[in-house]
Amino acid sequence: MYDFKGFTMEWYKELFQDTRLLIIVLNTLVIALLSALIATIIGVIGAIGIRSFTSSKAKNTVLSLNNVLIVSPDVIIGASFLILFTMAGIKLGFYSVLLSHIAFSIPIVVLLVLPKLQEMSPTLIDAARDLGASRWDVLTKVILPYILPGIFAGFFMALTYSLDDFAVTFFVTGNGFSTLSVEIYSLARRGISLNINALSTLLFVVTLLLVVVYYFITQRVRQTGMGGKR
Amino acid sequence: MKRLLQMFLLISIVSALLLYAISSLNSSQGFTSSNTLTIYNWGDYIDTDLIERFEEETGIKVIYETFDSNEAMMTKIEQGGTTYDIAIPSEYMIDKMRQEDLLVPLDHSKLPNLKNIDERFIDLPFDPENKYSVPYFWGTVGIVYNSKMLDGKEITAWADLWDKDLKNEILLTDGAREVMGMGLNSLNYSLNDTDEEHLQEAKSKLDALTPNIKAIVGDESRMLLEAQEAAIGLVWSGVASEIMAENEDLEYVVPKEGSNLWFDNMVIPKTTKNVDAAHQFINFMLDPKVAAQNAEYVSYSTPNKEALKYMPEEVVKDERFYPSPELTKKLEVYENLGKKNLAHYNELFLEFKMHRK
Repeated sequence: MYDFKGFTMEWYKELFQDTRLLIIVLNTLVIALLSALIATIIGVIGAIGIRSFTSSKAKNTVLSLNNVLIVSPDVIIGASFLILFTMAGIKLGFYSVLLSHIAFSIPIVVLLVLPKLQEMSPTLIDAARDLGASRWDVLTKVILPYILPGIFAGFFMALTYSLDDFAVTFFVTGNGFSTLSVEIYSLARRGISLNINALSTLLFVVTLLLVVVYYFITQRVRQTGMGGKR
Repeated sequence: MKRLLQMFLLISIVSALLLYAISSLNSSQGFTSSNTLTIYNWGDYIDTDLIERFEEETGIKVIYETFDSNEAMMTKIEQGGTTYDIAIPSEYMIDKMRQEDLLVPLDHSKLPNLKNIDERFIDLPFDPENKYSVPYFWGTVGIVYNSKMLDGKEITAWADLWDKDLKNEILLTDGAREVMGMGLNSLNYSLNDTDEEHLQEAKSKLDALTPNIKAIVGDESRMLLEAQEAAIGLVWSGVASEIMAENEDLEYVVPKEGSNLWFDNMVIPKTTKNVDAAHQFINFMLDPKVAAQNAEYVSYSTPNKEALKYMPEEVVKDERFYPSPELTKKLEVYENLGKKNLAHYNELFLEFKMHRK
């Protein structure tokens, strides 16, 4: 669209003066973080619940229900949510977007946590109970630490799903609330201005920094952890 | 468990901080006050400085939201759950929204600046007496061509497209009304014609054009023309002005046989919570100086006659975007032809699309 003419910081300047766009970026981040967090909590509880079912018929039924949101197309989910929210009288905006994001993230968390739970040997729990652990202790000291990698995977998966979701969000935004994907899409009719490019660069740099920081933290934890064992 | 709790706390704190940042950014813009006006507009279709000026002048806080298609806009308004006070649909949508009872009639006594609108654009068939809408921008459907790729050949009429030298050079828009309209116009019929004989004639005329057609495309025509993948395109004038700014070899022409005239219009949807502020905003946008500034930013044609005085002469005198009165007489607005005729248009267009070269 634009010919390369040289380097300039002009678009970054313009980006930071555009409060509307900044608010939208922050909205996107908050929605992603909160929805991933809440979905992870509900999803983990759900996965533990599903595992505790004794009849395999009930288990399969619940699991298939869980998969409904994964197999149905985003557009259908979005349209259904729009109808649901307007029927329930929920004003479109922050809460409608948050609720729908939580809803489509939960099944992902469940699916990522469940294999970890199934892989865990039931003897571990029996042993803990034998040694006098209460139910709460079993949950917090045995089960949760064991499935921790699954929980983190679920959380980050939910986070990315929420960040890049367009179709569902498109239907349930309204009243001045918007997320980045929807906003960029509406800009497309008149050609996208270069501050979107500037914004993408910044977001990319920030995520890159986070990854680097995360890498160093895990390195350090691993080293001190190993030192402790010796 | 400890790590889990730490993580949980960290995320909660970060979200709280972000929420705080959003609310302080919002309140720095004054969005929390109750006297607000929500505008639902096409993306990047207003000079945002004007919104700030409107806020300063009236004390009303504006919430600005964008949409990408008339259909998406109508769905949001129809479903409720939103509080849009102003929306800017295209003219064919106004007819539909009126029939669905989604519009609030305008109070003309609150819109003194309505007199600034050119009489040519007042009282049009899609909204008699401007009961529900005020034109925001207008434009035409025409031909964009790349004079360099055509070796300086000039195109002035629809008939020029049937030239045998233009083999595989034309991009058409994927719209039944636009393409059938082109066929009808090239035969000097009205583009709202419903006479079966005329329509069949137009269809066979279009069939004869197939060797010259490269593709029938949607929004990507803009990119293809800019990248010189094709020399000629059937486009809306708004698209034309944008791609001409990117590629200097491109030229736009409103064919002399006549063409379509389109409008984007300000309306007050039924979802409004602040009818007074909505009227104030429409009146504000009709102010000549405001309209001129907006037209320069958006670079579409403004229907505001008085605004033209405040705009650079080379823009106003540009016949490609402000066609002469003689030519405007030949331009027509799409009328709602009713379901049956529209289906017939679509059918003929489909047959034309399937016609073999």
